[in-house]
Amino acid sequence: MSEKIYARLLRLYPSRFREAYGDEALQLFRDRYGDETGFLPRLRLWLDLLGDLALSVPREYLRVEPELISSPVRLSTKDGPCLLVLGSQPPGASALLFGGVLSLTTLLMFSVLLNRGVRPVPLSALFRPVQGATDAGSSAINPPAPQATSYKGREGTIASASRQEPERAAEPSARANTIATDSQTNAPSLPDSAQPSQRQERRSQGGTNLLRGETKLDAAERRRVIDAAAAILKKYYIDRNNAQEMADALLAYEKSGDDDAVTDGTAFAALLTRQMRDVSPDRHLTLDYSRDPLPRRPGGQAPGDLARYREAMKQQNCTFEKVEILPHNIGYLKLNSFPDVSICQSAAAAAMSRLNDADAIIFDLRDNGGGEPAMVSLMAAYLFDHPEYWYNPRENISEQSWTQSPVPGSKLADKPVYLLTSARTYSGAEQFSYDLKMLKRAILVGETTGGGAHSGVWHRIDDHFGMGIPETRAINPFSKTDWAEIGVEPDVKVEAANALATAEKLAEEKLRRK
Amino acid sequence: MPKRKLDPLPSAAFQILLSLAGEDLHGYGIMRQVAEQTDGRMRLGPGTLYSSIQTLLEAKLIEEVDRREDEKLGHERRRYYRLTSAGRKLARSEAERLADLLRVARAKKILRGDYV
Repeated sequence: MSEKIYARLLRLYPSRFREAYGDEALQLFRDRYGDETGFLPRLRLWLDLLGDLALSVPREYLRVEPELISSPVRLSTKDGPCLLVLGSQPPGASALLFGGVLSLTTLLMFSVLLNRGVRPVPLSALFRPVQGATDAGSSAINPPAPQATSYKGREGTIASASRQEPERAAEPSARANTIATDSQTNAPSLPDSAQPSQRQERRSQGGTNLLRGETKLDAAERRRVIDAAAAILKKYYIDRNNAQEMADALLAYEKSGDDDAVTDGTAFAALLTRQMRDVSPDRHLTLDYSRDPLPRRPGGQAPGDLARYREAMKQQNCTFEKVEILPHNIGYLKLNSFPDVSICQSAAAAAMSRLNDADAIIFDLRDNGGGEPAMVSLMAAYLFDHPEYWYNPRENISEQSWTQSPVPGSKLADKPVYLLTSARTYSGAEQFSYDLKMLKRAILVGETTGGGAHSGVWHRIDDHFGMGIPETRAINPFSKTDWAEIGVEPDVKVEAANALATAEKLAEEKLRRK
Repeated sequence: MPKRKLDPLPSAAFQILLSLAGEDLHGYGIMRQVAEQTDGRMRLGPGTLYSSIQTLLEAKLIEEVDRREDEKLGHERRRYYRLTSAGRKLARSEAERLADLLRVARAKKILRGDYV
């Protein structure tokens, strides 16, 4: 009986091993079985065998066939190509049947998965960033994420330029759950994955409903998220009184059963956000749900990331995609992010010096997903002849809150400026647009921008939930609200595709009148 | 490739080489010899044993000798294995490597005593 069981177990080994040593193995089993009698020795025998099986079966399957190692030599004979057959026998009927069933199952699974549960990714996403839908421009005013997508776009496979989380971004399928670290406050900002899910939600309501496999929330999970959110509010939220009130409100809603009907993560996050904002209307306060697990530890830069980011920046000319002089001496700059100053300062200086003699400037930010606040401020510095207060919702007032104007040699301080915006203009690019608009230094042409201020500091609740909580009180000299969630309204509303032509026309008219 | 598989030499393979240093043995004999020389700490299961034997055979560190019966175990004919000179050389260099390690360990006062 025992021998039969072991003979069955031996069938787990690859046939090659069985043919060579199957009999011996069985013989060895018989020998040991005969020698080791009694309950404990037998028990030990079986434990030995099972342990051995667990270790050696995978090893046997991984073993490289000696024929394969020597094959390159043999394949390079003069007699032309030759085929190498590793099996000594043709596949049997059962193997063919099994293979057939397996292929059919896989085929069926593909069609089922394509029809439900899997979010279709358009082929174009592999070549150009899907603006708005993925992490393009969803990062806070931090550089990595938007650029990361653009590399993905251009080079296909790309091990990300995201400086923070290389492994994640390296998988093409994994959306870069970048947690960026703010250079100044050293506080991690919102991960990209949180925002897209919210934005997607907005899109799906707009009719393009995408089938998604949402996990169902149960009461325990809801309770846990609410408790954690209340604790985080009380600990970090800038206004203590409001924090207490909001925490109380969340717990009260939960107690009264108002949340019970919600089992969808995104809807639940939106509901809690609404409940908190009912107490205190603060658009920088968010509770987000991410379908993809959020990274456990924020920040933490691996040394290789910076090098990769630098390399990618070099290849893309620091995302200064186009610098040219249009007819009527209008300077045109297409800038797709606000990259790291320490790496791209010279690229920025080169671009601006090419535009230095232009009579008007058009900044094309239609594909700009944001970036580093320092670069935003640096670019703005060229446009003023004196230090100008530069509002950044993420930072308290410091020396950096003023532009480093005038920039030596810059002749752009008194030239008319036009900004092209689209719904994909996001985060840092919105700061650039908002401040220049509020300072009446530029005319915005195009569409309302995406609305990502992300002045909150990110707190992870669990694998799927997190909160953005404002911890600073930056002074906004222009108005009570900034662009968080509502975007920046353009001065001249046209479709993004027509923005350049419109801005050119406006600039021409302006120059003619002069 | 076989060379890479045996570098570093897995302890199971080294024990098998050592067990064959004295006399030619069949699979079960190797298993018992290894158990004996390790005070029962290493009991090679059939899978590990024959996969190691296969690797050692491919690397020509051991060779098969004629099948014969082991009178103590009945009338089944068994495959016997013998250490080749290359195998003996490898076992010796591995032992020397371990002896070197031992010397270092003693110099660093991790190991005391005079043995080996």
